[in-house]
Amino acid sequence: MTTQFIGEHLLPGRLGSFFVVLSFVAALVSTFSYFKAASTEATDIEASKTWRTLARSSFWIHALSIVAIFVALFYIIENHLFEYQYAWQHSSRDLPAKYLLSCFWEGQQGSFMLWMFWHCVLGLIVMYTAKGLETRTMTIVGLTQAFLGTMILGLYFGKEIQVGDTPFQLLRVTMQNAPIFAQPNYMSFITDGNGLNISLQNYWMVIHPPVLFLGFALTLIPFALMIAALWKKDYTSFVKPALGWSLACGAVLGTGIMMGGRWAYESLNFGGYWAWDPVENASLVPWLVLVAGLHTLLVYKATGRAFVATVVFLLLSNLLVWYSTFLTRTGVLTKTSVHAFTGDGHALYYHLLLVIAVLLLISLTLLIRRWKQLPTIKTEEDVLTREFWMFVGAAVVFIGSLHIILVTSEPVYAPLIKMFTGKEPAPAINVMQSYNNVQVWIAVVIGLLSGMVLYFKYKKTDARTAWRRIGTVALIALAMSVTIQYLQHITMFQYALMLFTCCFSIVASIFYGIAIQKAKFRNLGPVTAHLGFGMVLLGILLSSYNKHTISYNTAGLSLNMGKATAEENARESNENQILFLGTPTAMGDYFATYLGDSSVPGKDKRQYFRVRFDRIDSNTHKVTESFMLYPDAFINPKGMGLTSNPDTKHYLDHDIYTFINQALDKSKSDTSQYYTHSLSHAGDTIFLNDGYMVYQGLKREINNKNYEAMQGDLPVCAAFRVYNLQGFVQELDPVYVIEGNQSTLKVEDTVHSMDVYARLDNIKVISKDSVTADIAIRQTDPKDDFIVLKALVFPYINVLWAGVIVMVLGFFISLGKVLGGRKKTASE
Amino acid sequence: MKKTHIVLLILVVAAISAMSAAMLNFSTYETFKSASAEQGKFFHVIGFLDKGKGIQYDPKTDPNKFTFYAKDKSGNVSKVIYIAGAPPQDMDKSEQLVMKGYEKDGTFYCNGIQMKCPSKYKNKDMNVGDNS
Repeated sequence: MTTQFIGEHLLPGRLGSFFVVLSFVAALVSTFSYFKAASTEATDIEASKTWRTLARSSFWIHALSIVAIFVALFYIIENHLFEYQYAWQHSSRDLPAKYLLSCFWEGQQGSFMLWMFWHCVLGLIVMYTAKGLETRTMTIVGLTQAFLGTMILGLYFGKEIQVGDTPFQLLRVTMQNAPIFAQPNYMSFITDGNGLNISLQNYWMVIHPPVLFLGFALTLIPFALMIAALWKKDYTSFVKPALGWSLACGAVLGTGIMMGGRWAYESLNFGGYWAWDPVENASLVPWLVLVAGLHTLLVYKATGRAFVATVVFLLLSNLLVWYSTFLTRTGVLTKTSVHAFTGDGHALYYHLLLVIAVLLLISLTLLIRRWKQLPTIKTEEDVLTREFWMFVGAAVVFIGSLHIILVTSEPVYAPLIKMFTGKEPAPAINVMQSYNNVQVWIAVVIGLLSGMVLYFKYKKTDARTAWRRIGTVALIALAMSVTIQYLQHITMFQYALMLFTCCFSIVASIFYGIAIQKAKFRNLGPVTAHLGFGMVLLGILLSSYNKHTISYNTAGLSLNMGKATAEENARESNENQILFLGTPTAMGDYFATYLGDSSVPGKDKRQYFRVRFDRIDSNTHKVTESFMLYPDAFINPKGMGLTSNPDTKHYLDHDIYTFINQALDKSKSDTSQYYTHSLSHAGDTIFLNDGYMVYQGLKREINNKNYEAMQGDLPVCAAFRVYNLQGFVQELDPVYVIEGNQSTLKVEDTVHSMDVYARLDNIKVISKDSVTADIAIRQTDPKDDFIVLKALVFPYINVLWAGVIVMVLGFFISLGKVLGGRKKTASE
Repeated sequence: MKKTHIVLLILVVAAISAMSAAMLNFSTYETFKSASAEQGKFFHVIGFLDKGKGIQYDPKTDPNKFTFYAKDKSGNVSKVIYIAGAPPQDMDKSEQLVMKGYEKDGTFYCNGIQMKCPSKYKNKDMNVGDNS
């Protein structure tokens, strides 16, 4: 017996589900055909070509199906078809159109789809550019797509085993037991969805996930190319495409990661752009390993050395992307991460482990079987060469990333530690510091090498010239770093050292690019990327080392990268300051004044708190600078408490960053009392906390937007003009209505900016000329209206953002050279 | 390949020391009782908010402090003073708290709380009809 449900739109879901299955099958067919094409390539060219045609067309079908799934799901979200669980869970009617796309990434399946979509785009490019490596590379791409496809299949084997989760699941199926779904007309009860997580309602969240996932997707191509090279035993033709793809990946994944940092900086309130959070680490580590691989690939290209390292790094980079997915999406990290996505159960856990195991098995098997014939060079390399130090640098980057991933994975192997120590291990008490203490040394070495390596040549370097140039650079860098160190009071030894190597890297890159490469744009890629990287390190150092809170009374420096002593904790504990309405409070060099919030009760979901910062000259007592900040918060959305977003004042050399930690929930403070005033003459005045209102007399024409005129009503309003200390604010007209001679209705009027509520309570006619109006006034006491604010200063944070842009530019210049070089050889 | 080997050896040593430094930095999960054995030392304690007793936060006297009671995994209830700010969002809805801090004279002072909140679609009521 089946119920006929009313008001459901089943077609988009059925189409979507059809394309989910089609895309999966097409991926399988494509993989198999590419595999056959690859294995018959040497023996039967005709058969191979036929297989390849089949493989290509199935991949096209696969790609188009993915697009179709996207369209179907977007249609469901855009049209608010809440019968679908995905739309219900991740969107709502009031969601601004620009955030509809963000609903995709909020859910598990949507982000898998995004990942698949990019693989499709990249796969199609590889299909037509990889030439001799196409069949093998695309076998791997197709296989990966098939794996990802299983994630959104939503197949059931019996009742217990579920493979994947379809995004087209109906709400009534996921919540079968809820009684409302027994009613055929249940749709008429479901009027709105759950809505999008508020911290995702930010423009960075519209573009950050697509860029990040393109970065993740890009790691697949070097991976697939390496597998193809090992498989085909062709150790030369992969170099150029792998170089190009790695550069593209370095640029895009790097951008994606830092966009995430920028998003965290602008819309999360943990006070910064980077917190060594597992989710952040999980995307950083693949990038670091990829960059290491990119450098060893360059070594291999120039000298024939470091092949094994290149294979290992480029394979690992993609495997680490999968491992990151495992870490962040299965809930293994729920104890340690602020924003690890909540686990969607054991199904995904084993599913992802299985995929990683298969990919790892393929990689290892190939590597072991080919081990003896891998290209190596028997002679010893000279120490004073570019390849030697590039290799060392890559190895150091790799060690750094190993450290990050090992510490991040602590919850994964915690049971193992417990077996040995008998105690349940927890993350370090001061997480940031435990990473920084190790990573600072990595940064010191990398800063030094990234500058130095430019001055060595492949195979043979003229030692005297190299050292002379390096010496010059070092002197300039030393002068620069000592100056900065003095001005910025950088006292801890390891950070002073890091400062020097950052400066060294920057000076070395600029000097090399201008003096030695003569600023020939085509060749400036590596130098630009290294310059950007040096700037990133410098920006991180300056903005974090002297990041300080100004929202506590004892202004001064706090070393956030320093030690975890009791003093630091005490300092940490005073970082919030309370601001009462209208009361200036000292904050660093400023006086901060809370001027009220922008909200209209019951109308705005988001409240903007107006805080004015004034810098006052200590001698003249004049305000020399004044600006407003509007940190905002969602007060109590769906009973979730306060969700706040920071607001930041940007200067060229520093940022002032503020966010609300606590604010008054006005809907809960409605108990404040009304005070009644009896007025009989126009011109009578009622004094308010921060102003006054003047009675104008009773009026019959009503000018109150809260009042809707009805047939038979007899409305009267008491007219007021309201002034604050600056002057006239607005008119205020509370209304008293006699509805058809029977009941009375009192319509309040309000002045939101002053938080005044007025009600016309009663009208007493004493004589023909004397009419008294009873006005009840309610206004929140300024002592009852306050915010708890935290304000931080990030010095020189723009060096970091500029560094990211320069570095990415460097990747692209190099990529341009690789692509340009290819065109040239093609046309010759 | 002598020099290369030396450099590789140095790198391996550096790697091992970095990893072991990281391992030594790990803290442990304790209960209120086991944490009180070493007064003043920082630990992680897993517990649950005693919702009956509520969260006391008075920003007018100190915006950086609030007090609550938590029950740890072995069932002991302790007073907890948070000394690093305002109560985090959703704390009263948390299913589990991981508190970072130290025990002193019967009170747990903490400066970090990680919460586990009910996943939003298990515990949230659906919007059914117009709730007017």
